[in-house]
Amino acid sequence: MALLVGSLCPAAGSLLITQRRILLANLMAHSVLPGLVVALALEVDPSIGGLISGLIGALVAERLNQRFRGREEGAMNTVLAGFTALGVLLVPLLKARIDLESILFGDILAAGGVDLVRTGVAALALVLLFTTRYQDLVFIGVDPEGALAAKRPVSQIRFIAIVITALVVISAITAVGIVLVIGLLCAPVLVHVERSTSLRNLVLKSSCTGLLLCGGGMMLAVLLDLPPGPLIGVLCMVLLFLRRP
Amino acid sequence: MSENDSHSGQSICPVSIRDTSEKIDHRNLLNPPKLTGNPVLTASEVSFGYGQKPAINSISFQLEPGTLTALVGPNGAGKSTLLHLLQGRLACCEGCVKCRGSIALMPQKAAIDWSFPITVQQMVKLGKTSRRQSREGSSVEQLLNLVGMAGMESRRLNQLSGGQQQRVLLARALIQESDILLLDEPYSAIDPPTRAHLLDVMRQQAEGGQTLLVSSHDWGKALDSYDRVLVIDRHLVANGTPTQVRNTISEMDNVMGDCCG
Repeated sequence: MALLVGSLCPAAGSLLITQRRILLANLMAHSVLPGLVVALALEVDPSIGGLISGLIGALVAERLNQRFRGREEGAMNTVLAGFTALGVLLVPLLKARIDLESILFGDILAAGGVDLVRTGVAALALVLLFTTRYQDLVFIGVDPEGALAAKRPVSQIRFIAIVITALVVISAITAVGIVLVIGLLCAPVLVHVERSTSLRNLVLKSSCTGLLLCGGGMMLAVLLDLPPGPLIGVLCMVLLFLRRP
Repeated sequence: MSENDSHSGQSICPVSIRDTSEKIDHRNLLNPPKLTGNPVLTASEVSFGYGQKPAINSISFQLEPGTLTALVGPNGAGKSTLLHLLQGRLACCEGCVKCRGSIALMPQKAAIDWSFPITVQQMVKLGKTSRRQSREGSSVEQLLNLVGMAGMESRRLNQLSGGQQQRVLLARALIQESDILLLDEPYSAIDPPTRAHLLDVMRQQAEGGQTLLVSSHDWGKALDSYDRVLVIDRHLVANGTPTQVRNTISEMDNVMGDCCG
């Protein structure tokens, strides 16, 4: 599970960073919490609740971005905090039996078959997006206005990317938790983005780095008897300092 | 964009921008000399506004095939807006644009994410994927040679200087082999030798039959390299040969400042 998440998150992160939508990913990671809590309270699959909640958070943020042009970061961070707070409030209100700590910081050892299947679906969706829409993804990343003028399906691809991001985030929550998933999305990508010669190249390198990061983090966690999620989060930060200038 | 394509005034613009209080000063409008041949592009009373703010008002002109035309004006004159209207990225609030053939736009450098992981060759090829893939045409290597970027196919975008970035953008625009090429500030922040080289390439393209419209807020002696000059300041101020426009512009130092030559 750790290895799958370790390679999947950087692949999604490559897309988000090159499309300059990484803040949206962090927002979605926190927006899933209310949906997870509601789903657990209703005894349905928490990933469904999380997915819906994450998408709603993204839509709310996009709407507020229109209203606060030039101040999008402030608006998005406010939505992020608001959804997180809403999730925390819903726990006592719905009397949901939920381990908030494991959702916030991950509990990879609790991952089961369902989590693996969910992660596999997210991985398949991402691979499909890259293989069928690769040129569009590159065009939109390099020249978004040009892509629009060339009649590329920019809005559709962006929406599909948001949905896949939500799937990836929900999958990663089991491993590293809501708070830390952004580190796994960003760090392996940041160390390679300036030296990669193509998006494909970036995805492969980032995924390999993420794989080593998560695998190494798990082994270290076992050795040191520490929670793996937070340890992987710290290793993500250390990775940035190890990158050669 | 197909032949005889036109995008006429549509009701997309949320507000009418016809400002009846702003009258066009006809003393400064040159009657352009009679043009021969069918114009490849005709803009008729084109107007556009961003929300409540009018950007351009009732601009009309024609482009002849195989000509190199300069579009000049001060900052905020509406040059980029006009180019985007001609290419179809924006819809005219009023007026219409008719063209025979395809149009390509070389955008400003600021529109591109130069940190994206991609090589020069892949960047130029992006222009080829947008249209006319089946036609044989100049290869990426030929075009990079033409714009002075020979041997740099595998260079990453984030390794390029400002002048090299402009050359790559030009190559990407040229690979589309459009009938009309619009260039948005191709000389922005580049050195004189690069500027001269880009101008040479544009002149070659015009002599080969392509029609080029080049926007710039520069106003130097290089204007003599153009066949025609359009001067705008939210409306059409002058339209003619460089000499005709210069004679008129001398009366309007407040439009171009001390840069008028």
